[in-house]
Amino acid sequence: MRYYARKLGFYAAALWAALTLNFFIPRMMPGNPVDTLLAKFQQRGGSVSPETRRAYELLLGTNSGEPLWDQYFSYLGNLARGDLGVSVSVYPATVSQVLSQSMMWTIMLVGIATVLSFVIGVGLGALVGWRRGSWLDSVIPATTVLAAVPYFWLALIFVLIFSTTLNWFPLNGGYDVSLATGWNWEFISSTIEHGFLPALTIVVSSVGGWLLGMRNMMVSTGSEDYILTARAKGLRDRRILTRYAARNAVLPSLAGFAISLGFVVSGSVITEQVFSYPGIGMKLLQSVENNDYALMQGIFLVITLAVLGANLIVDLLYGFIDPRTRVRN
Amino acid sequence: MTQTSPLAETPDAATAKPVRRRGGFRAMLPTWSARLGVGLLLVIGIALFGVLGPMLVGDPDAISSIGMTEPSGDYLLGTTQTGQDVLAQLAHSTRGSLQIGLLVGVLATVLSAFFGIIGAYTGGFLDEAFSLFSNVMLVIPGLPLVIVIAGFVPAEDRGLSTIILVLAITGWAASARVLHAQTLSLRNRDYVAAARVAGEKRWRIVTVEILPNLLPLLASQFVFAIIAAIISEASLSFLGLGANGQHTLGTMLYYAQNGWALQLEAWWWFVPPGLLIALFGCGLSLINFSIDEIINPKLRVDARTAKAKAGGVAKEARAAATAVSPAPDQPDRELVLTVEGLNVVYQTEKPVHAVKDVSITLARGEILGLAGESGCGKTTLAYAINRLHRPPAEVSSGTVTFHDRGGPDIDLLNLGDEELRAFRWSKLSMVFQGAMNSLNPVISIHEQLDDVLTTHKPDMGKAERRARCAEVLRLVGVDPRRLDSFPHELSGGMRQRVMIAMAMLLDPQVMIMDEPTTALDVVVQRGILREIIRLRDELGFAVVFITHDLPLLLELSDRIAVMKAGEIVEYAPSGQIYERPSHPYTRQLLASFPSLTGERGAFVRAGGTAANDVNEGAAR
Repeated sequence: MRYYARKLGFYAAALWAALTLNFFIPRMMPGNPVDTLLAKFQQRGGSVSPETRRAYELLLGTNSGEPLWDQYFSYLGNLARGDLGVSVSVYPATVSQVLSQSMMWTIMLVGIATVLSFVIGVGLGALVGWRRGSWLDSVIPATTVLAAVPYFWLALIFVLIFSTTLNWFPLNGGYDVSLATGWNWEFISSTIEHGFLPALTIVVSSVGGWLLGMRNMMVSTGSEDYILTARAKGLRDRRILTRYAARNAVLPSLAGFAISLGFVVSGSVITEQVFSYPGIGMKLLQSVENNDYALMQGIFLVITLAVLGANLIVDLLYGFIDPRTRVRN
Repeated sequence: MTQTSPLAETPDAATAKPVRRRGGFRAMLPTWSARLGVGLLLVIGIALFGVLGPMLVGDPDAISSIGMTEPSGDYLLGTTQTGQDVLAQLAHSTRGSLQIGLLVGVLATVLSAFFGIIGAYTGGFLDEAFSLFSNVMLVIPGLPLVIVIAGFVPAEDRGLSTIILVLAITGWAASARVLHAQTLSLRNRDYVAAARVAGEKRWRIVTVEILPNLLPLLASQFVFAIIAAIISEASLSFLGLGANGQHTLGTMLYYAQNGWALQLEAWWWFVPPGLLIALFGCGLSLINFSIDEIINPKLRVDARTAKAKAGGVAKEARAAATAVSPAPDQPDRELVLTVEGLNVVYQTEKPVHAVKDVSITLARGEILGLAGESGCGKTTLAYAINRLHRPPAEVSSGTVTFHDRGGPDIDLLNLGDEELRAFRWSKLSMVFQGAMNSLNPVISIHEQLDDVLTTHKPDMGKAERRARCAEVLRLVGVDPRRLDSFPHELSGGMRQRVMIAMAMLLDPQVMIMDEPTTALDVVVQRGILREIIRLRDELGFAVVFITHDLPLLLELSDRIAVMKAGEIVEYAPSGQIYERPSHPYTRQLLASFPSLTGERGAFVRAGGTAANDVNEGAAR
């Protein structure tokens, strides 16, 4: 139980750190974001009520002389109520509304792509590590090229080949805009068609990391005594591979999930930009271009929350898969 | 030339002499390989292009009237929409990207070394705080954070130093964690403990004992940091959030994207910058492979490993071996195992002849002791009997025959893979030295016992299998309720008993026990030995018992073979060995053990050469 308590405590600390970071970043930067924002706000026809001004000041900092401490607690209070402010670039929608619209797209895209690349990468890595010394070793240098390719560049190349030249997939967007949104086959097939290239980009760019990590662990695990015991026991090669070698070698890959997920999420932000995919990454960049600070911060918080949540799930699963963690801590 | 400096010492790696180091005698410098060569070629080539290129090409910003032209004699890589020379831009951008990569790499590595190494070495509260900090930084996604920070800084204030600082601050955490783990493990090594006991100062321990051993890891983290920095900077610039007025590969791609290069299929504009990043990253990763092989020698791909098949038998072995057997006098008993003229060679650069012309026989129900000092080849011999030896070990000649009860003789060295698999454990099982590591730590005892039965006796029912597992545990004196325990929940002695129980699951005719009790204390050892003798009497299996403890064998076994430097120097019934040892080495061994009444024994280590240590290590 202590393992889980420790993990939960850690994620609580990480969440708090992210919230605090979010609070301090705009306050440490040069310029006065509140005025920039309110000017824009009025341009778009919004009337600046004292409450609106106050909400932005809490988010971005104020020069009204209010103690930082009070601002901080009011900021946390607003967040706790789910009040992230009003978006300027998509006025009059609130930040929460914008988030809820674009979130599903990203979660589906990044979620499916991450699971696919993890399964493919770990599976291939296990095989390459197990059959060390065979022709499969030649896969390794290829993965290094893939790992070093910037996501967005790969996306550009895919667009050039598959959209512009071959015309197999649409150039951009998340669905066919002429269709009505809904759970019908026509719409869903259109989203799959549009999501295919972005997902392929994420999978191809991230699979190398999983593969290499798993391969290296397989090689190390291969010389463990319990593998020798398993061979002496006359177990079939397949069973040794799955139950003894891969079962143990996958643990560090899972433990290192946090690092990899961070990379994938970062990469997908840019991938969305290239494909104009209607997810949260593209919204983040739009908000940066429009100085929509409230939306920018809201998105950063949501992304962080999602990454923390995914890692928490993996950590809890890890405790289940590796019985040693449950007692060690 | 700053770009290549971290790698400058690598080219003459092949010629450099290995540096003597503590904590493992690995060479400090990477061994030469094709991968390293290609990696260095890519990295040095691109670095030179970035350093010298800008001096050779024209002004990257010069606008001309011929926009969007394909590569030609005048413009080797064509022109952009506004007629700028792509090659000139590429050279300047490469310089810009490399500069940022290197600076961020240095900064991030320094930060990670500070938080990783200092924290792990100091321990206590500082360590907790530092690792909490790096873990938090690690789970907060980097690029969105960078985008938010860059978004708050007005474009005209976004200078090179801002970008470098932001990238370094968001990019050090992963490598701090790696360094932290490694430092922790180094800190607990014996030589560091020794230095501490000897009263060495703290800073001295860190700089002299720990840092040199971290160098390969630091180098590899540095290389990673450069790749990550170049890619992150390119991403930022591609999004239009890069450093103001700076030429980098990312800004090139940004202008290409915004200049409709993609729609106009102007590949010469956006393919080269990305390709350069990919190739440079690939070059650095290839160099990192060589560094990784220093950190983790297991990763080295041995050419011989590739050629020889695991457990393979050399062709010559198939030719009938010449019998050199000095068949000892046990004519009345039925044999279960005959080894004749067995030779095992480790095919390393300097081949090591680990087992030389060994001939032994094992009678049914007999306990045969195999004695000898560490590295004499006894474990290699045991593995070769069951063909568990791995490359570079190779059986060069000899035969191993198993005389099956109620069946034809089995020629072990010529068994097909599937027949060999079915043979293992059902007729000959093994108990390995160090039960700590012989059990899989993450699956339960029951699963590990059970999969022997599911593999070898597929028609057994689930309840039947469980009953059998419980039965063997009871045989060795372990409470069957421990079946669902994991190995780490059992004591050392109990684990060893579980291993013996596992070896008895299929009622094998022979059990090979390799130092089964060495890691246990004398009382537990005694209990287990008594158990082995009792079980042998009840179930009638034969045992090959391997140990360096000759007095123990005198008590336990029927016959003893004494091994020295790969050869059997004496092979006789225990009583005879005790009373009339014929070989001087046996006498020396006997004399080296202290007796309760006599003089203290002398420490004997006859064959203790480096070569023997090598094959002991390789045998595991």
